[in-house]
Amino acid sequence: MTTRRAFLQTSTLLGFGATVPTFLGRAALAARLAHEPGAKDTILVVVQLTGGNDGLNTVIPFTNEQYYKLRPTIAIPKNQVKKLTDELGLHPAMSEFAKLYTDDAALCVVQGVGYPNPSQSHFRSMDIWHAASTAENLTDGWLGRAIKAKPVPAFHIAGNNEVSPLALAGAPVRVPSVASLDDFKLKTAAASGADGTAQKSVITNLASGGRQPPEAPRSPASLLDFVSRTQLNTYASSEKLAALGKNYTPKVPYPNTPLATKLKLAAQLIDGGTGARIFYVSIDGFDTHAGQGGAIGGHANLLQEVSDGIAAFYRDLAGHGHHKRVCVMTFSEFGRRAHENGSKGTDHGSGAPMFLVGGQVRGGLVGEHPSLTKLEDGNLAHRTDFRQVYAAVLEQWLGIEAKTVLGTAYQPVEVFAKTS
Amino acid sequence: MWCGKFSDLFSPRRDGEVVASRLTVQGMHHMLDAKTAWAAYQPSAAHPWDRRKVAHLYRRAAFGATAAELDAGVKDGHEKTITRVLEGGPESDDFTRTTEFMASERSMPPGAPQSRLSAWWLDRMLKTAHPLREKLTLFWHNHFATSNAKVQNARYMLGQYHLLQKYALGSFRELVIQMGTDPAMMVWLDTLGSTKGNPNENYARELMELFSLGIGNYTEKDIREAARAFTGYEIKNGSGVLNPSQHDATPKTVFGRTGRFKGEDIAKLCLEKEACPRFIVRKLYRFLISEADNPPAELIDPLAEQYRAWDFDTGKLVATMLRSNQFFAPQTYRAKIKSPVEFVTGIVRGLEGTAGALPLAEALEGLGQVLFAPPSVKGWDGGPAWLNAQTLLARNNLALALTSGEDARFGTRCDPARVLARHGIASDAEALHWLLDVFVQGDVPAATRDRLLGYLETAKGIKYPVYWTPDDVTHHRVRAVAHLVLTLPEFQLN
Repeated sequence: MTTRRAFLQTSTLLGFGATVPTFLGRAALAARLAHEPGAKDTILVVVQLTGGNDGLNTVIPFTNEQYYKLRPTIAIPKNQVKKLTDELGLHPAMSEFAKLYTDDAALCVVQGVGYPNPSQSHFRSMDIWHAASTAENLTDGWLGRAIKAKPVPAFHIAGNNEVSPLALAGAPVRVPSVASLDDFKLKTAAASGADGTAQKSVITNLASGGRQPPEAPRSPASLLDFVSRTQLNTYASSEKLAALGKNYTPKVPYPNTPLATKLKLAAQLIDGGTGARIFYVSIDGFDTHAGQGGAIGGHANLLQEVSDGIAAFYRDLAGHGHHKRVCVMTFSEFGRRAHENGSKGTDHGSGAPMFLVGGQVRGGLVGEHPSLTKLEDGNLAHRTDFRQVYAAVLEQWLGIEAKTVLGTAYQPVEVFAKTS
Repeated sequence: MWCGKFSDLFSPRRDGEVVASRLTVQGMHHMLDAKTAWAAYQPSAAHPWDRRKVAHLYRRAAFGATAAELDAGVKDGHEKTITRVLEGGPESDDFTRTTEFMASERSMPPGAPQSRLSAWWLDRMLKTAHPLREKLTLFWHNHFATSNAKVQNARYMLGQYHLLQKYALGSFRELVIQMGTDPAMMVWLDTLGSTKGNPNENYARELMELFSLGIGNYTEKDIREAARAFTGYEIKNGSGVLNPSQHDATPKTVFGRTGRFKGEDIAKLCLEKEACPRFIVRKLYRFLISEADNPPAELIDPLAEQYRAWDFDTGKLVATMLRSNQFFAPQTYRAKIKSPVEFVTGIVRGLEGTAGALPLAEALEGLGQVLFAPPSVKGWDGGPAWLNAQTLLARNNLALALTSGEDARFGTRCDPARVLARHGIASDAEALHWLLDVFVQGDVPAATRDRLLGYLETAKGIKYPVYWTPDDVTHHRVRAVAHLVLTLPEFQLN
């Protein structure tokens, strides 16, 4: 049988100093479990709503006549809105979020978030949110830079067809993407235990190539290095996660949706003590150009998946005593046009709300709802820069100096409860 | 300025940004001037025509080479081999009959499952006599990336495939014009239902941003105006047609030109823009030549001008690229990460196997590439983004499933033991030599070869189950070493 120690020795990890995933090499930073005294290691879970979420049908100004004029076929009837205040409420599919708001004070809604001169390209705008920058060339992400400033372990919980997000690029060691623990194993067809050990040892060894020094670099060496590093990083990660308990028992049932399944895996990695402090998950489908529906329909289903999934995650973590350590933050690359279009859908827009969920967020509404009369090219103007939210999360939650990561000092928005 | 905007789309920046920037710097030393770069490659003592170059050509322009194709390529020389790849062969009657039957409405009704669609194409890729045309069809599928996840109609997806395939090596002009009334595209980007007075911007935006020009070459106003030109299109009897009563026939102003434009006029206006041929040439460069550098305008622009002079004849553009010094330059060799499709087809063809396309297509999902279902209208990011911890393990484990002979999905249809026996190979050293030749043309460090031989030796001393015959042991050892070869980092590169 191979031990982890033996595995590490047989692989030439030393030759690739910066290859080992952070969560392997940094026991000292590993999170203390919440039931232990002095636990305060906080965790950020970013949930990306891909495609441009229709913020106006998510947080709804149900007393505003203009809203119903702008949305003749897809507006949410007043009597179906989940009221948060006398003027604003959530889409009816978000009843779980409404409960988090009213019963737990664990939901913070930041209204009208965006940035100046917004891009209406999905890909450009998504890159801007990921990089937290509007520079022409964007090569690394805000979370990658945060991890560079303070090396904390992180995971991208991936779906099929989904690549590692730009937001995580720039970390000193590549953040591993994990889709399922069952498949997160290097398999062999071995005739015996010793055979399997021998094969794995060869695979790891070949990954680094015994290649130093390269004989005649016919190929671009750095592309080969990239593959080598990914291999070594991956094999080390999979050994570590194999040691994690396979049987995780959530304290509450999760909905049977892709997002909830990803969040359940995040909960398992949190509860299993990997020490991870940053998680990244996505849900796609928000590009509702046509037939998006109103109180029911395609957009409603997406919002329900978000609301039910995140609420189950929160309650599961609460059951395990981790909820005060976790903050979930949602965002989308833009909101949608105030006017609905002829296809009973909405085209690309700008300002939209973000949600934060957790045991220590400041329950309530932050910022102002965008004006429905002072539109910019038909779009809702933003009132809060998204980097103000990032600044709060970085400084007040993860304990990382925001200016180092964002390049500029942004006034943090008050999304966390004052701690005594 | 212009380059910077394109880099947004083309630099393999996600997780590969370090790679890309370093390579650009290194690449400068090898940079050929445009005239030399696009001139036809001629073998020389320094750059001989050899197995590596044959394999390189088959990896990029086809779906990998068999040992026989490597032999023939070296023997026939560069002219004949490149021409053979460019022209392709006529499809056999058997192939045509089977593939057409599988695509018939009876076999592939509108609601056919996604995996049947992707398996159908994968099967074509593995068996076609004209792999370059299939490869370019895949390029255009990634360019006009449309997903059955939304279209939900296998007939429409097949219809779009046939459009892409028809012009894969033909006129981009015709392709981009006809794409505007392609039913799958009309559903995918909501042209369907966009009507006079209530235009939907989806198609107009992506036509400019992703299909012809790239970001920075149009304004938001151009998009809103162009969207009105795409109103009133409907699907009738499986074809996109204009319904004048729903079409906005009033004048629109796009790129400063005013007229009562229809959808195809907008496509033509895009084709006229200087950015258009550059955009396509740059994207094709990344597909066929290298994703490890960001080619300078001096290299791209002359070819883009030529592409326009050829009236967007993609066949001529592809032929120029594949014959060029740039294509066979040292810095181009292995300057791409294999796509999942390239990874699996390379294994199956190399092992002269016949893996069932359906389980193979299903396995591709774990590697991150489902044919007819790209993740977004931008297509697959490609490059280093193909590889992350999960997809890398999926590649390793799929290689195992194909070679082990023990996986219920694939059985022994790609059995390395059988193919080695067929080639009359008996010794360990010969077996390893053959596998390394087919999969990486022996282009690995000596230490790698030693380590693999070492495994074959070690595996002799393993305690095997008592009921195993000596043949069982030999087969196990060569299957295992074939899997090990397929986990080499060199094999992940194209």
